[in-house]
Amino acid sequence: MIEVEQLRKQYGDFTAVQDVTLTAQPGEIFGLLGPNGAGKTTTIGCISTLLSPSGGTIRVMGHDVVKDGIEARRSIGVVPQEIALYEDLSAEENLSYWGGAQGLRGAELRDRIREVLDLTGLLDRAKEPIKRFSGGMKRRLNFACGIVHRPKVLLLDEPTVGVDPQSRVRLLELVRDQARSGACVLYTTHYMEEAESLCDRLAIVDHGRIIAQGTLRELRAMVGGRDILRLTGTFHPEQVRSALGGIDGVEIIHADETQLALSMNDASHRLPMIFAALNGSELRGTTLTQPSLESLFIKLTGSELRE
Amino acid sequence: MRFIWITALKDLRRLGREPVAVLTWLAIPSFISIILTLVFGPGGAKPHGTLLIADQDKAIGATMLTNAFDQGALGKMLTVEHITEAEGRRRMDRGDASALLVIPSGFSASFVTGQPVTIDLVRNPAQRALPDIIEDSLGIMLERAASYGAVAQTPPIQLDANIIPNKTEQPDGFAAIILPGALFMGIFFIAGALAADVWRERTSGALRRIATTPARFGAFLAGKLLAATLMFAGIGALALAVAHRLMHLRVASFPVAIAWIAASGSCLYLIIVLIQSAASSERVSTFMTNLVTLPLVMLGGGFVPFEWMPQSLARIGEWTPNGWCVMQLRVALSGSLQPIVFVTIAAIIGAMWLIEMRIIRKAAC
Repeated sequence: MIEVEQLRKQYGDFTAVQDVTLTAQPGEIFGLLGPNGAGKTTTIGCISTLLSPSGGTIRVMGHDVVKDGIEARRSIGVVPQEIALYEDLSAEENLSYWGGAQGLRGAELRDRIREVLDLTGLLDRAKEPIKRFSGGMKRRLNFACGIVHRPKVLLLDEPTVGVDPQSRVRLLELVRDQARSGACVLYTTHYMEEAESLCDRLAIVDHGRIIAQGTLRELRAMVGGRDILRLTGTFHPEQVRSALGGIDGVEIIHADETQLALSMNDASHRLPMIFAALNGSELRGTTLTQPSLESLFIKLTGSELRE
Repeated sequence: MRFIWITALKDLRRLGREPVAVLTWLAIPSFISIILTLVFGPGGAKPHGTLLIADQDKAIGATMLTNAFDQGALGKMLTVEHITEAEGRRRMDRGDASALLVIPSGFSASFVTGQPVTIDLVRNPAQRALPDIIEDSLGIMLERAASYGAVAQTPPIQLDANIIPNKTEQPDGFAAIILPGALFMGIFFIAGALAADVWRERTSGALRRIATTPARFGAFLAGKLLAATLMFAGIGALALAVAHRLMHLRVASFPVAIAWIAASGSCLYLIIVLIQSAASSERVSTFMTNLVTLPLVMLGGGFVPFEWMPQSLARIGEWTPNGWCVMQLRVALSGSLQPIVFVTIAAIIGAMWLIEMRIIRKAAC
């Protein structure tokens, strides 16, 4: 469990993190979403005991990270943004070193190395120097080194940066596995889609502050926007207007011979009704856009997330 | 303790994966040693020095003796300068010459009349080869003079070869001149390369990762130091064994000499880690390392042994960190290294370890 209260981190006059309060539970994936420089890495740095907070308190599995740093670190596994590995050592040797740094030894260490190599799909390349590995394989090993000691709290700092789509899917599945096995996962990312698909709860961070926090549904509700349904095909605009005009709550944003854009609440449940009303038109494509974190971010900050 | 060992093992494994790099670090000093041996070794060119002669006799016997140093092979090795005894002693105090020969007033007359006579030879303790040559040559000349004297019923001339009290008793032989400096040049290069690894670990994020584990930075640095120490001990043992076998280097105690090489090499390693930790980037750290180590290697007897350096430079060189290590290795080879020297180096290593583990911890964050 991670408990952060009123965290503040200052570098001279610059405040990197201000009033950050969050709680992440065992078995939960808690996301920190925000643009580069928002303070996500600083927050994770403070939680992992790498940085000393300027104010506030952080407890990891009940241990204060400032007063009881070593005990807190025993519970923590960190997967840093960088590939913090030794290129001239094999996957097995890297795991052995990082496992040893966490206090594992002997048969327990050997068994666990084999286990995580299997988990990350690197067992058949265990004895190879990792400088021969692809970027995705190194990322997986970087992850493996963070979980080799079965941490109760797993901190992941943008672990999928620069990873190919296949490896990304695999890594995200590994993260879900950790949460399923009871670990409390704190995951930072600036990829909105990743946060939406992975995290149980999210905090959106900007300029060192949490600007919104909650489940995905709660955050979407904060946008207050309606779903957008875009249809492509062959339409008769006048017939469409007359057919859809009678459905309560459906607003026609745009209608021409080839495209139709409608705004409504809860569009996914109303699709059969829409399709029935458009009977006689030739439909070729349907796109449903729900209120997103991106739109929430724009609403809260006035700028795009990727800026 | 366990993390110290696994960190050392990790570094040694990584070094083992890069044998070419290790060989390259050793190639430069080996190459220079070979060149020096070819040029200055037996059969090659000879070193050049200055012999000061204070001739207070100024008669034929003294003239014959001093002229002998100006001729033949000796003449090629020595520049003879005639000066007063007072000036000669002043210059010897400054270490400006290889030796001072004082021929007393009445030397020739005493020789002819069969009176006992003593001549003084003051040797420069910072040099060995040239003072040895001068003393040996003078001894031969005096033996010959004595043999003539025997025919003429003249008592032998006594040579009083004074050596300015030296801190160290140094071993003999060409290898003893060449090897210590060359060895410490190699150790300095390797220390630089090993120290650069700390920067690589910082850049890769490995240091930050260590900071998030229960392991301590003191143990991490101690592990790296242990790996470096074992590496230097191995290199030292190999170099001494080769020099002993092939160059007839006299080694009073292999364990003591190897222990000194390992300990002083570790100290040099920590010095370079300290220099590099002050740098703002890996590139700057490499530049700073070269900026510091190359002049130190040159001054510290790496490229040219102290014996063949100008006196003033040799004096400075002997007090550079690596120069001091070279001088102490010579003492260790002769078997007279004092335990206090080991205590001193251990204290330096301990102090630097305390400072640097904090610096590295800070650098990681």
